[in-house]
Amino acid sequence: MKHPLFASVLCLGLGCSLQTTSWAAESATVTQLLAEYQQAGAAEFSVEAGKALWEKSFPTADGKQRSCTACHHLDLSKAGEHVRTGKTIAAMAPNANSKRLTKLKKVRKWLKRNCKWTLGRVCNTQEKGDLLVFLSANQ
Amino acid sequence: MDNNTSAHSSTEPVRIWDLPTRIFHGLWITFFVLAWVFHEDNRYLNIHVFAGYAFLALLLFRLFWGLFGSHYARFRHFFYTPGAVVTYLKCLLSIPQQITGHNPVGAWAIFILLGLGLVVSLSGLITLGAEERQGPLATLFHPATGLLWHEIHEFLSWLMLAVVAAHVSGVIIESILHRENLALAMINGNKQRPASTLGVPRHGKMALLLCISILLGAGFYFGACLPYESGRACQPFLGPKLPDNVLWREECGSCHAIYHPTLLPQRSWVKILDTQHQHFGEDLDLDTDSRNEIHNFLTTYAAETLLTEAAYKILRSIPPETTPLRITETAYWQKKHADISQLIWQSPQVRSRAQCEACHLDAAVGTYEDSAMFIPN
Repeated sequence: MKHPLFASVLCLGLGCSLQTTSWAAESATVTQLLAEYQQAGAAEFSVEAGKALWEKSFPTADGKQRSCTACHHLDLSKAGEHVRTGKTIAAMAPNANSKRLTKLKKVRKWLKRNCKWTLGRVCNTQEKGDLLVFLSANQ
Repeated sequence: MDNNTSAHSSTEPVRIWDLPTRIFHGLWITFFVLAWVFHEDNRYLNIHVFAGYAFLALLLFRLFWGLFGSHYARFRHFFYTPGAVVTYLKCLLSIPQQITGHNPVGAWAIFILLGLGLVVSLSGLITLGAEERQGPLATLFHPATGLLWHEIHEFLSWLMLAVVAAHVSGVIIESILHRENLALAMINGNKQRPASTLGVPRHGKMALLLCISILLGAGFYFGACLPYESGRACQPFLGPKLPDNVLWREECGSCHAIYHPTLLPQRSWVKILDTQHQHFGEDLDLDTDSRNEIHNFLTTYAAETLLTEAAYKILRSIPPETTPLRITETAYWQKKHADISQLIWQSPQVRSRAQCEACHLDAAVGTYEDSAMFIPN
């Protein structure tokens, strides 16, 4: 919570309009998580790396393939469908679904849980940061 | 014409039945027939139940009108002892005795029909409460008594139909014997009588009030159906709202359809949460607080609460030594879905047996009402 306020005050003070737009694309939650990941040693985050991870297929123990896009739509602005239950999953892009990436606890939880299910392991801070900047980029 | 002959010249149409009495009569028949027509197919249970409510409301109006209505509509005007009935029947065979209001036999038929109407309505309300867990008596009767009440309701309805048949026969016989169309009199209100006969006012305002009340009731009950769309199941039943929990809805409803706690017994929910790290191949990863809150919600409102018809019937169908983890494993679920073809399961709107809301429009609130069922085609 401190971070975006600090950032906006800083931006206002310096009059840096470009900086403001880039911060504004991310939710306060994402900003906070990215800062945490960097503190934990992650390098610069990349939208491209996030996109690649999002679309990559991982083999499961029973010989099937899983990817983020199996349940979330390849097009982030569209609703996906759970690969096993058929449940509709609302769009991931924050500009299509304003609730996305706003609740800290929820983002932490699902990044952990869904990495475990899809990749078969937890994601490292670099991967999580890449995914968050990719999802926030709204492409 | 009137002045031609002595006997008939002095008669004229006199209003015997006021408008509210006639409208009651017509609507009571209508709703009795409607309830009968829509009693078999579960999907139309809301129509059956509405017809029942309207039937009871009309009956209550008739009781009121029997005390405060116009002359011939008042109970005390057609209150005859059994002796009077016998005397009347004896005379019927020799010299038919013409009575302006209800004759003794007709009067008894009416009291019996009103009484039967009352017990039919009450047994219907009890059945609705016991079996469907709905209506004003929703939790007053144990669901195990539902079938018995259902049968009592049916028996009383057949009995009432038999009395209706006797009543109609009586009207026909009387009409022939007295050369007077009694059924027509119940439609236009008039009988040919000497001018000195007491006539009654029309009571048009009361009739209008009666009609508006029934229409308002129908609007309240079926308002959710408007605008009508074919293929959309109408009005998920007006029933008691089931317990809800935000965290449960969010955690459990993210990956699959939401399954209300009433759909499985406590032991199933306990096992599901105990094995949360292998939840059908997935780790739910619930933290302690979330797990405890969800555990509490699920076990408090599990099938044992008997809050819905499904709760009771699912629970009853599970052998005590088993702990199903899926609702689709239960015998009741399987029996109820046995007739659904593979084509429907595989259709793009359904896709999976886990998608309850594809056919049950109220699946998300857990009520699984008969009239909220709609199989997509």
